[in-house]
Amino acid sequence: MSTVSEQDLQSGKGTRLVEMAWDPITRIIGNLGIYTKIDFAERKVVECKSTSSMFRGYSVFMRGKDPRDAHFITSRICGICGDNHATCSVYAQNMAYGIKTPILGEMIFNLGEAAEYMFDHAIFQDNLVFVDFCERMVKETNPGVLDRAEKSPAPHAEAHGYRTIADIMRALNPFTGAIYREALQMSRLTREMFCLMEGRHVHPSTLYPGGVGTVPTPQLFTDYLVRLIKFIDFAKKLVPLNDDIFDFFYEALPGYEMVGNRRILLGCWGAFQNPEVVDYSYERMTDWGRAMYVTPGVVVDGELITTDLVEINLGIRIMLGNSYYEDWTNEETFVTHDPLGNPVDKRHPWNQTTIPKPQKRNLPEGPYSWVMSPRWYNKRTGDFLPLDTGGGPLARLWATALAGLVDTPYVKSTGKSVTITLPRTASSGEMQLEWKVPKWANTLERDRARAYFIAYAAGMAMKFVEDALRRLRGGDVRVFQDFDVPKEAIGCGFHEAVRGVLSHHLVIRDRKIANYHPYPPTPWNASPRDHMGQPGPYEDAVQGLPIFEENGQEGFKGIDIMRTVRSFDPCLPCGVHMYVGDGKVIEQHHSPMLGFGK
Amino acid sequence: MFGLKRNGKNGKNDEKTVANVRVGKPQTKPSAPSHTAGVKRGNARGNFDKEQGLKAVGNGGGARATARRSTGINAEARNPIDPRMPNLPPA
Repeated sequence: MSTVSEQDLQSGKGTRLVEMAWDPITRIIGNLGIYTKIDFAERKVVECKSTSSMFRGYSVFMRGKDPRDAHFITSRICGICGDNHATCSVYAQNMAYGIKTPILGEMIFNLGEAAEYMFDHAIFQDNLVFVDFCERMVKETNPGVLDRAEKSPAPHAEAHGYRTIADIMRALNPFTGAIYREALQMSRLTREMFCLMEGRHVHPSTLYPGGVGTVPTPQLFTDYLVRLIKFIDFAKKLVPLNDDIFDFFYEALPGYEMVGNRRILLGCWGAFQNPEVVDYSYERMTDWGRAMYVTPGVVVDGELITTDLVEINLGIRIMLGNSYYEDWTNEETFVTHDPLGNPVDKRHPWNQTTIPKPQKRNLPEGPYSWVMSPRWYNKRTGDFLPLDTGGGPLARLWATALAGLVDTPYVKSTGKSVTITLPRTASSGEMQLEWKVPKWANTLERDRARAYFIAYAAGMAMKFVEDALRRLRGGDVRVFQDFDVPKEAIGCGFHEAVRGVLSHHLVIRDRKIANYHPYPPTPWNASPRDHMGQPGPYEDAVQGLPIFEENGQEGFKGIDIMRTVRSFDPCLPCGVHMYVGDGKVIEQHHSPMLGFGK
Repeated sequence: MFGLKRNGKNGKNDEKTVANVRVGKPQTKPSAPSHTAGVKRGNARGNFDKEQGLKAVGNGGGARATARRSTGINAEARNPIDPRMPNLPPA
């Protein structure tokens, strides 16, 4: 349950600010607290701080472990996107061991990840995000908007079957709405697709460095295809429905484009390896990175400034400032130069040493969060950019659209948009969709991009399954490459978790992990102010946000703030934090107990 | 029954601090499961060549299968009738 606490403050200028907090936030993953100061007279959020109250310490306890266990361990970072971690860890290990996954194995990886995007985006959008846009919620926060929705026809009614916008909103009502319920059924379908390829959701059992343990048979791929076609039927309704609802909000609430708006600073680390091109060598990472079917890139103020994974890698910096850690400037430097001879900074994940410093939260002066402050160094300007992922899909689509590199039968990048062609299915014919680069990186565009990326993943899955069947029917059944763990090595993996950029940096010494730093999207998005005072993306997007909710201070739900935070799809995974007071030791017993108990 | 109680009050203090985190006495090494004498590594180079019923082909990292991948009982009789056909024995 979210809790709201209020405290009237007198600001220096004489206007009244109300302090409001949502901690923990519901309908996201994990522990996130948003602390704001709101000027109700001006109907604006004046200040926002984003905090996380949880620490597990993967970068601490993985040291000394066998690197072959890395993907099984890091998978447990998250209970919804654990497979993205496993995949990224495998990519990092492949680089470290000097191997590549066979082509059919790589296709199985891609099919599994495509299923994950379809599963996670659909369930998050339809069962969690849309509760903020459903009829029951809008009735409580913006009754005037609901009245207008009753009279507004849905432009794409023939595609999704809902006559008015209010009908769409009723279909989104939790537990009773038709779309809400159908999305739950589709989530089972997509999870089955995932499990066919990766063995188990969310912690895959068949992924390994060098390949997969999944046995490739024609039935494996046709079972996947049957479910995919059924899902595509649903996706073809979903995208026009999303367009209708978000376009309505722009029209009914002029100025809503400023809600959650921040400077366009997007990062995408690429997804879906091209099996014919990738070899996981650092030396060729620029080439195989650009061959990915979601192009990696950094977008600054609407311009794509790089698609080079080597440049992206070298630009990552981990800052502190308001996080509960000690600095590591006096600790060991593991990697001075990358395999191409470029110098590697001390603040790069390869050289980071995580030294947690638990302490009481100090919101006014800091530190106030367990999240660090990843930034990206732009060598052109010397800035350390607080990139965000736009929730994942926005950055992926934006970078891919501008790069103009992806060209497949179902998904094409045009240089300013992405076209997606979904095939004929049971209840509708072939449909072409086009996601155009928007003017803003705001709440509604992040949410809209999620619906389009569901279609993107479905289109790519069609290509992967057709390619895989063709290869299998040609007689190739190899899905695994054997390898030896080297004594000393480094590796890095770049992937897109559902919510955005994901990197794993690994240093091996004496055949054990000497250093391991995974950077999922949420540290980028949820980062607190760094030592230069730059706010993190959540803070930046919520600060200055205009309030459209019709409720006053009494009964204020903060719906615009919550829509903004949820548009980023926060994932601060629930950790089990065994704090039991002043150093009380927990009693511990070895197993097996053979049923004799205590 | 096979319990191990660790309690600083009972005398020997076996706790130490690693990265500002208070930890107890380790009961095993982190790499124990993999660095145990006699346990073969399934990933080791050369293991693919020992696989029954799988043969690497070409330079593209592919492999073809034979019925021996799926069964040891009269495997020669269970291959496709035409050697040009893809051989896709069941899992």
